[in-house]
Formats: sequence, C-alpha cells, structure tokens
Amino acid sequence: MSEKSTARGSAPATGAAPGRPRKPRGSRVPVLPERAFRFSPRTLGVVIALFAIGYLVLAFQMPDYTAVQVPVQPATLPRWLGAVLLVLAVLLFFQRPQADGEPEAAPVAEAAESASGKSTDADADTDADPSADTAKGEARLGRFEDTRLEIGLFVAALAAYAALFEFLGFILATALYLGSMTWYLGYRRHLVNAVVAIALPFALYAGMTWGLDVALPTGLLPF
Amino acid sequence: MGMLDQLMYGFSIALTPENLLYVFIGVLAGTVIGILPGLGPMSAIALMIPIAYGMDPTSAIIMLAGVYYGAIFGGSTSSILLNAPGVAGTVATSFDGYPMALKGQAGKALAIAAISSFVGGTIGVVGLMAIAPSLASFAVSFGPTEYFALMVLGLTAVVSLGGRNLTKGLISAVVGVIIALVGIDSQTAITRFTFDRPELYEGVEFLIVALGVFALAEVLVMLSRRGKGGVRKSVTSLRLSRGELARITPPALRSSVLGFFTGVLPGAGATVASFLAYSAEKRIARDGKTFGQGNMKGVAAPEAANNAAAVGSFVPLMTLGVPGSGTTAILLGALMVLGVQPGPTMLTDDPGMFWGVVASMYLGTVVLLVLNLPLIPVFAKVLNTPRTMLLPLVVVFCVVGVYGLSFSVFDLGLLAAFGVIGFLMRRNDFPAAPLILGLILGGLMETNMRRALQISGGEWSVFVTEPISAGLLALAALSLLPSLVRALRRRPSAGTPAEVPAPADGPEEQAPTPRG
Repeated sequence: MSEKSTARGSAPATGAAPGRPRKPRGSRVPVLPERAFRFSPRTLGVVIALFAIGYLVLAFQMPDYTAVQVPVQPATLPRWLGAVLLVLAVLLFFQRPQADGEPEAAPVAEAAESASGKSTDADADTDADPSADTAKGEARLGRFEDTRLEIGLFVAALAAYAALFEFLGFILATALYLGSMTWYLGYRRHLVNAVVAIALPFALYAGMTWGLDVALPTGLLPF
Repeated sequence: MGMLDQLMYGFSIALTPENLLYVFIGVLAGTVIGILPGLGPMSAIALMIPIAYGMDPTSAIIMLAGVYYGAIFGGSTSSILLNAPGVAGTVATSFDGYPMALKGQAGKALAIAAISSFVGGTIGVVGLMAIAPSLASFAVSFGPTEYFALMVLGLTAVVSLGGRNLTKGLISAVVGVIIALVGIDSQTAITRFTFDRPELYEGVEFLIVALGVFALAEVLVMLSRRGKGGVRKSVTSLRLSRGELARITPPALRSSVLGFFTGVLPGAGATVASFLAYSAEKRIARDGKTFGQGNMKGVAAPEAANNAAAVGSFVPLMTLGVPGSGTTAILLGALMVLGVQPGPTMLTDDPGMFWGVVASMYLGTVVLLVLNLPLIPVFAKVLNTPRTMLLPLVVVFCVVGVYGLSFSVFDLGLLAAFGVIGFLMRRNDFPAAPLILGLILGGLMETNMRRALQISGGEWSVFVTEPISAGLLALAALSLLPSLVRALRRRPSAGTPAEVPAPADGPEEQAPTPRG
C-alpha cells in the first residue's frame, strides 16, 4: 500500500499550496509505472470467476467421508467458499471502474492520479535542489523502459535463484543472485557490490548454521 | 492489588537478561526494518519469524512484539524524513512531520514522535492490564459456536475497515480461507486441493504467504515505481523546550486513549487510530488550521494513537485468540507455529507468557525512548541503503526464511508465486490483510464450525439461536454496512470525475489497509 500511501500522504501538501504549477505529464516512461499490471474490474471479475469455477469443480469431485456420520463434510466449506467467490466475482465484474478511482477508468481519473503523483515531485522541487530526486547516486531501478518487462525479469531471476538454490548451494546461489541483481538494477560501485555479495552469504550461512541450527544447502561447496 | 503483583511477576520474566536482550533485538530490528520505505510491521514481523523458531515461545513473542512497535516507530522516522511512510499507520504522521522537516525541524518532529509513542505505549499497556483479564474471564465461557461467530466478525471487520472496496476485500478474505483449507483435512484425513503434491499435504505454511504477499510484493512494488521517492531531509537537533512539551502533552494523552480503544476493536488497527486521532485533534485544536503545515500537535496525535492502538490490538489477540488486524494475525500465526494457542485460558494457564509480554511491551516503549531516540541519526543512515541493493537483499531474506522453515525448493516456488499474487493484488487495490487473516482463521473457523455442529447435532440454526453468537454475527453484518452504504451513496455520483483525494476525507478513505 505504500504506493498509495505516498500519493495520499502528499495530498495535504497539495492542498496547502493549490496554485502550484503542474509539470507537464511525464514522458520518460512509455507505460506509466503506476499503471502497469492494473486491470479493469471486468478482467479481474472474469479471472476470479474462472478460478472460482475451477475450484468448485474440484470441490464437487471431492469424496464424502462415509466412515462415520459427520455434520460437516470435508467438501462442505470449499463448496460454500467457491459459491461465495463466484458471486463476488460477478459483483466485481459489474462494478464501475470509477468506483474506486482506478486509473484506467477515465482520463480524468488518470490525470488525478498523475497529478497526485506529480505533487510529490513538486514538493521535491521546493527544496531548491531539483535534481535531488535522483541525484543521490541512485539511478532509476532496472534497465528496461517497460516496467512490465522489468517485473517479469525480476521474478524470473527469483525463480532461477530458487531453482539453483539446492544445486549450487546457499552461498554460491546467493552470492550470484545478490551480485548480479544489484549490478543489474543499477548499482554502480562494483567493488562494494562484490564485497557485499560475497560476505553477506557467508555471514548468513554462518548465522543460520551455527547460530540457529538451520542447515542451509551446501551444494558444490564442501562445507 | 493482584494485578500489580502479576505485573511485577511479568517484569521478573521480562527483565531476565535473556528476554531483555530479545526486547532489545526486536525493537532494534523492527526500527531498522520499519525505517526502510515500503517495509511495514507486517513485513518486519514476517521477516523476523524465522529467527524466532526454536526460541522459547515467551521469548519469541516478546521479541516479535518488540519488532512490532519498533517497526511502527521506524515507520514514523521515514514518514518525517522522507515523506514516504513505510507503514500505513504512520501516514498521518507525515502530514505534519514532513512539513516540520522541511522547516528544518526534523529533529524536533522525531523527538515528538518518540515521546508521543512512549505516552501512547504507556497508556496502552495500562489499558491492556485493565481490560484483558475481565475480557478473558468473560470469554472463557465461549464455546465453538461463539468462536466461529467471533472469527466471522474479525474477518468482516478487517474487510470493512481495510479498504474502499468491499467486494475486493471480501474476495481477499475468501481466497485466504481457500488457501487455509489446502492439505489433509484434520478431521477426516481426506486430502483437499493438494494436486497430489506431497509438499502440500501439510497445507500452505502461513509464513510463505506472509513473506510473499507482504515483503516480496513490497519489493515488486518498489521496483515498479522505479525508485521514485521523496527527498530525504537530514536530522536536526532533537531538543524540545518545556513549552513545546506542554503543548504536545494534552493531544498525546487524548490520542492515546482514543488509539487504545480503536486498537481493541476488531479490524481497526494503528492506521485507523492514527487518522481518527489526527482529525479529532485538528478539530479540537485552536490552531487547527495550521495542521498540515508542520504543527507539532499533528505529529503527537497520530504517533500516540498508533502506538496505543498497537498495544490495544494485543487485547483481542491475547484474550480471545482472535486477531483484530493483519499484524496481530501474523503474530498469531507465529505463535501457532511455536505451539502456543492464545485464548481466554492463557491468562490462567500460562500467566508467565501473558504478563511477560505485557511487561516487555512497557520495556519496549522505554527502550524506544531512551535508546532509539539518541540513535536516530544512525538509524537514518539506513535510509541511505541504495534500493538497487535493498531489493535483492529483501528477496534473499525471504528465501532464507522460507527455506529455513521447510527445506523445500517447492516452497520457494510458492513464495515467488505469492509474491506475484501479492503484487497484483496491490496494484489492483485488493487489500492483503484480509487474505492473511482468512488464511490464519480459516482452519480455526472450520474446526469450530464442525465442533459447534457436532454439539448441536448438525443443526445449522445454532449459530443464530445462541445469544452471544447471534449478537456477534449481527455485529459482523453491521460492520459491513458502512461500506455498503458508502458504495450505494457513491453510485449516483460515480459519473463525476474522481478528484485528487482531499485531506479531509474519512479515515477509511485514506487508509488502504489497516497495517497496524
């Protein structure tokens, strides 16, 4: 929720200085990052309804427990849940997009959203240091223009990390993951990165293995 | 007085060097995690649970409670310095805290936040001691029927206060219960929705869902925002004059009481409490017009309220065993993993744990005041952690936490899946708190439902003929009413443009999820 909170948190500031000039709509990113992966209530309704139907089919295939007479079968609650979910999905399907101020609803809502987003930037500008937003040595995260690709890649990297976790062992997999992701996301001090990527897995491994008695996979390394 | 004796007993437990250390570690870790923008108390507790495994349950909950209020305090630090509240419960703090920081009074704002938190925590602990025993002795008579109704109430309350969209909140809650039912049915040993994966026979571990839906989803949200955020202000002098202290004391006291009772109510956590207190003080104060421009009362009120509410939310958790908010739901999940089932009998069966936690809460607020405040400049350096490094680090902590619990790569896959689900939920305004509450209460709900029906001989009407259960269910229905009314009222005006959310909106409007 922090994304929302930030936008909302800045609202009073906007109210305090209503006449503040608005910057032109950002054109840095083709798909507004705030809009990536947002779907209309119709789409969401259909997806959830499909899930509910699938769930109901499975729930109705579930065998009854017959050894002893029981008032609640294992399938009783799932069937009710599936039905309730289906009803909720239908309700969602017929919801107007505006009802929540969802951005794809109307250009107005979108403008409102980006306006509230921009006011954060405007606040930043009052600091007499307009470049401070990104000037802390922190570039924009990632490399793709399209946020959706970026998210996809991040999740894929996580999946790869998980897949290699036992084969390579905790230390190697983690060092590889940490180092490459930090580099990829745009951290420029490579030496610091390398030190952290190598030292942290060792420290964590030592802490978990000897401190908490949790055996992490050793993988290719002998210890 | 018996209660004082018991509190002394509690202190004797909390003051053992070992537990003192855990309070310390918990508050410290909570503050550091809470300062990181985006990571709130739920993520903080979920990330710390793996460390709590294998600990003595009393020490574990003492530590996790420390993480909770440490995270709330850390959240207010980033609210003030960064205008980026890491925690929904401290959004209200940023309204006046960040303007104060802009005026060069960041240190003062932080000091006010710490002192108000201390006041809130203290009053909260007093309230907890006063209310909990009587509530517990009342709840001892609860049977499965009443418990089922109580859990329904807990779920609906979180849904109705949790978001602006009732349907989406309910969907989250239902999906949470659906996840809870995966695995071998405890009563009949029939496997449900396991798809013949042995990894799922035991059900989906709640920690995987909690880490995925909160911590990992948070990482994806940060990534999708591409590192945009406010400008950090540096810490200035922490000193407050006597006059300033006098000015913030009355609002802090009032807000603490308000916050505590809000926290006790199911569903209303620190978030709702802080917004209520902020708007109440704004109305009461003679200089209410300057709220939002850096008024110190506007920092004191929400800070006192959210800490008092954090303590207050322990009342339903410890006396009824039914969490009233997402955060306490995660705590309950952690306790259940440790083999503790809080409930009305805990006070008599395991007084050491109950009073130890109460005493440790008090110690925690003291630690926050005397230790964290002077260290704030150091903590603020945490904000310098480049996000490019923070994101992969959080992922690694999640992975270690899950793997250390189950030693299964399959669960790591589940973690990634729940991270994606949590991210999509966040993006589409589905609140995550009902999901986690549904997950934790789902199994308990079914068990209690079965027992109730077993006793009544399969008569479903038992839920509405038993007076207490009927009352609770009626309350549950009532708790959904305000959202329904709002939804209906909005319909005619739905065509009008959605304005930029006005600061005067109701607290629920501003608070997407009660995180506290």
